[in-house]
Amino acid sequence: MFVSEIDMLSPRSLKECLFILENEKSSLRLLAGGTDAVVRMKEGKWRPDYWVNLKHVDELRFITIQKDEIQIGPLTTHSEIINSPLLQAHADVLVQACQEIGATQMQNMGTIGGNIATASPAGDTIPALYALGAVIELTSLSGKRMINVEDFFIGPGKTAAQPNEIISKIAFNVRGKNDIGIFQKLGPRKAQSISIVNAAVTLSMKQGTKECTGGRIAFGSVGPTVIRAKKCEAMLTLGPLTDEMIANIGRVAWKEVMPISDIRASASYRRDMASALLERGLYRLLKRWAEHEE
Amino acid sequence: MKNSHFKYVGKRIPRIDGPEKVTGELKYMTDYQFENMVWGKVLRSSFPYARIKHIDTSRAEALAGVLAVLTHKDIPGFNGFGIVVPDQPVLASDVVRCTGDAIALVAAETQEIAEHALSLIHVDYEPLTPITDAEFAMTDRAPFLHESGNIHSHVTIKNGDTEKAFSEADIILENTFYSPRQMHAFIETEGGWGVLEPDGMLTIRCPGQYAYRDRLQIARALALNPARIRVISNPIGGAFGGKDEITVQIYLALLALHTDGRPVKIHLSREESVIAGIKRHPFKVQMKTAARKDGTIIANQVRAVADTGAYASLGGAVIALAIEHCCGPYKIPNVDLEGFCVYTNNGISGAFRGFGVNQVCAAIETHMDMLAEKLNLDPIELRKKNVYQKGDTSSIGHVLKTSVGTLQTLETAEKCELWKNRALHKKDISEPWKKRGIGLATSFHAVGMGIGLPDYGAATLELMQDGTFKVGVGCEDIGGGNGTVYAQIAAELLNCSISSISVVQGDTSETIDSGTVTASRSTYTGGKAIAAAVPNMIRLLTEAAAEIHGVMPENVLMGDDELYALKEDGEKTVTYKDIFHYLYEKHRPTKVEGHFMLPKEQEEFKGSGGAPHHLYGYLTHIVLVEVDTMTGETDVLRVVSIPDAGKVLNPQGLEGQAEGGAVMGIGYTLYEDVLMEAGYHKTTNFTNYILPTIRETPIIETFPVDSAEETGPFGAKGIGEVVMIPIIAAITNAIYDAAGIRIKHLPATPERIFAALKEQEASTPVNLNE
Repeated sequence: MFVSEIDMLSPRSLKECLFILENEKSSLRLLAGGTDAVVRMKEGKWRPDYWVNLKHVDELRFITIQKDEIQIGPLTTHSEIINSPLLQAHADVLVQACQEIGATQMQNMGTIGGNIATASPAGDTIPALYALGAVIELTSLSGKRMINVEDFFIGPGKTAAQPNEIISKIAFNVRGKNDIGIFQKLGPRKAQSISIVNAAVTLSMKQGTKECTGGRIAFGSVGPTVIRAKKCEAMLTLGPLTDEMIANIGRVAWKEVMPISDIRASASYRRDMASALLERGLYRLLKRWAEHEE
Repeated sequence: MKNSHFKYVGKRIPRIDGPEKVTGELKYMTDYQFENMVWGKVLRSSFPYARIKHIDTSRAEALAGVLAVLTHKDIPGFNGFGIVVPDQPVLASDVVRCTGDAIALVAAETQEIAEHALSLIHVDYEPLTPITDAEFAMTDRAPFLHESGNIHSHVTIKNGDTEKAFSEADIILENTFYSPRQMHAFIETEGGWGVLEPDGMLTIRCPGQYAYRDRLQIARALALNPARIRVISNPIGGAFGGKDEITVQIYLALLALHTDGRPVKIHLSREESVIAGIKRHPFKVQMKTAARKDGTIIANQVRAVADTGAYASLGGAVIALAIEHCCGPYKIPNVDLEGFCVYTNNGISGAFRGFGVNQVCAAIETHMDMLAEKLNLDPIELRKKNVYQKGDTSSIGHVLKTSVGTLQTLETAEKCELWKNRALHKKDISEPWKKRGIGLATSFHAVGMGIGLPDYGAATLELMQDGTFKVGVGCEDIGGGNGTVYAQIAAELLNCSISSISVVQGDTSETIDSGTVTASRSTYTGGKAIAAAVPNMIRLLTEAAAEIHGVMPENVLMGDDELYALKEDGEKTVTYKDIFHYLYEKHRPTKVEGHFMLPKEQEEFKGSGGAPHHLYGYLTHIVLVEVDTMTGETDVLRVVSIPDAGKVLNPQGLEGQAEGGAVMGIGYTLYEDVLMEAGYHKTTNFTNYILPTIRETPIIETFPVDSAEETGPFGAKGIGEVVMIPIIAAITNAIYDAAGIRIKHLPATPERIFAALKEQEASTPVNLNE
């Protein structure tokens, strides 16, 4: 199929979009920011009969707070997340992850929904959403369902969303003033790179101490999907997060990951880097916590 | 000569082509579209090494919208190209030797139809086992990729008695260094236009580095009188040596013969450019260096193997230049040097900024750093002790007759803030597990061609209707800004305003042959050619002014942008516009030429492939790095570049070159490599070819030393290449200073650095008392 033969449908509302997904018999692909889709189209991998252009579905573009829940519309761009005071205050880990995506141009075009739906094991927002314990709302003509972010991903490029469903919301709980988070990325260079390993950490700290009451840790690019590091999480509450404790938690990380070798890095380096990024991230997080406490 | 005497030379003159380039207004040749255009596409080989049994184009030819499908059978002339040895087929007929090999060409109404047509061409291959290791290629077990064998060239230089020196040495270092397959990564991939004009002339618009030679290579393949071909090779969206060889010019010419006079465009995608474009030669360099306790280096033995891939291109010249430069700018009395340029099935390597010197400089300058450490000498002191000066004999036995600025660059390095305060800078780490280090290296690079290659420059100067001057130089502006320098020189010598000068470059119908834009030569050569043309123009103007006013030519004086004729009744002003009209009415030419032969050494070192050169540029780099010991990431934080480019004609242009070269050197040392496996490219495009971005770009300071070269235009030499050479070893030396590890396999990726740190940790004896 030639690129010039692909046609485009541009629904004006979510309902119209869902109607197309339900009834259109030709092959379809959703087009949000296009930062992945266009590349794959050029490569010849994605050549649907129709692109379903989501540009005009404005109801999927929002950042709000409802009671104790932060809600983000899937068409929200990375730049909008970076510049949102609400998310800066309540989802530092996600804001930092978005800052590490591509370059400014990519952040202006790329969307959080697109990053999730592409389901790359190296996607930068996904570990952050794991660390925030996010849920994803899927909508079809027949209704809505909520799914935990960890259950959403099946494998590289594969998700639990059905062909008639669209991501309609990403939500997570508002975080308290003692909740802190950090995103760490190792790429082949500092800007515009695909992660060799990335890591997202959120911690709930006990005021005035180095003690942690709980936390979430997730790694990207070290397995077929993003991986949650539960052994490391369990160690977070074993005692005060001293430099020594942090180093010990980092050392455990390599046991949680199952990376492969590719053009960016070898599997063994990735394992070592999962440890390094966790240790470095916890160190930086605790330093920030100490400074905040002063 | 003081700069202040000059109006333009030595001044920070903004690029004459700057505004249209930074605003994006300039259209590069591959930006153009024409209404009746057709698209050309190239079928590349599916295998790195295979015999072609049969090519069937019938299905492609039958596809609607296809105008032409061409194979080797459609080449009217010689089926080959290559600057030195034309060993690369235009279109492969019996064998393919790399995945970049072209087999067929298609012209079609749209790009998609052309691409589809390629998929309909059936090539019956018999795959062969590719040779992917240059050392293996040299053994008896390897089949010959070319009739002449797999060793394309072997160069040697011997001087003194290395065996004796090694037996007398206090210290001997022996190491092997590996270097990456760097890609030019110009922003404009290879492409252009071909059109058969109604009068039968063939016009090829294609960015290149030597329009006249491209024209000859096209003519040879087409069996066509070169005078029937016009090549326009400027403007260029970057080249760096990667457009020195033929890229798509011959394909364009062949297709243009079959499109009924419609213009045909080829523009490679980045992916095709990665596969088909030439790269920097990966080298294996084995080096053994001996010194006395006092730091006198007494011997150097080098064996360098360059992987030139499937075809020679300029590989023979690259290895020759590498061997000429592999002892650094030092006077080592005993040397035994040899280099091999070897065919494999790994793509094609060719010219690239630095031309082989980068790879060997990394080796010698690492050894210098190791020697300084082992002998407990200051790295600058050690180098100062061994550098040659003008009149000295270099390691290869060459008595230097032109300016040598190494010592001055080292003295400047010693005095600069970064070096003086290096202990302080080292301590200033940003996080506890990070380590900072400072490294230095010095190197040199020849300006102009070696012995055996004619080296000449030529320029035209034309008086225009509006009284301005048009300077024509064949040498293209591949990004370095030589056009601005040409305008400066012409304006200075013609005593006119620089706004009265226009410059045309790289067009066989507008300029005369001035040689290549390579070998850091175009400022020197083009500048001298303009300087040779100016007296002819002044004579033309003066004589015309004299005729107009009926005075003797000696009574005509040059003023600013005009002439004065001294008559008995006083001074008469003659404008250049007046002169143009006078000459025009008399049907007399308004254009003059200037020609210049580059000075050369008389005698070639036998077996060296062209050494020595007559002229060299020199440069010392100092860098500050920070190594993250947890991840192996290296940050280059500061660079000091201290060039000896002779007299600086345009400090702003020099800084541009120094900064661009430093960033390219950082990319080479830390990030860039086109990875191949079994003859196939693993690196596909800029997603996985890692170039430095602005976030990897440090503060770069440039402190040129003033070392005028009396043969150069206003004392200038060349700068295009040496700016990216010493920084390679300066960075690896700084990494050693920071973290105590020696990286001998580039690029020094985080993974390689981390592995070296791990190894260092494992080999450090445990102190039980701790």
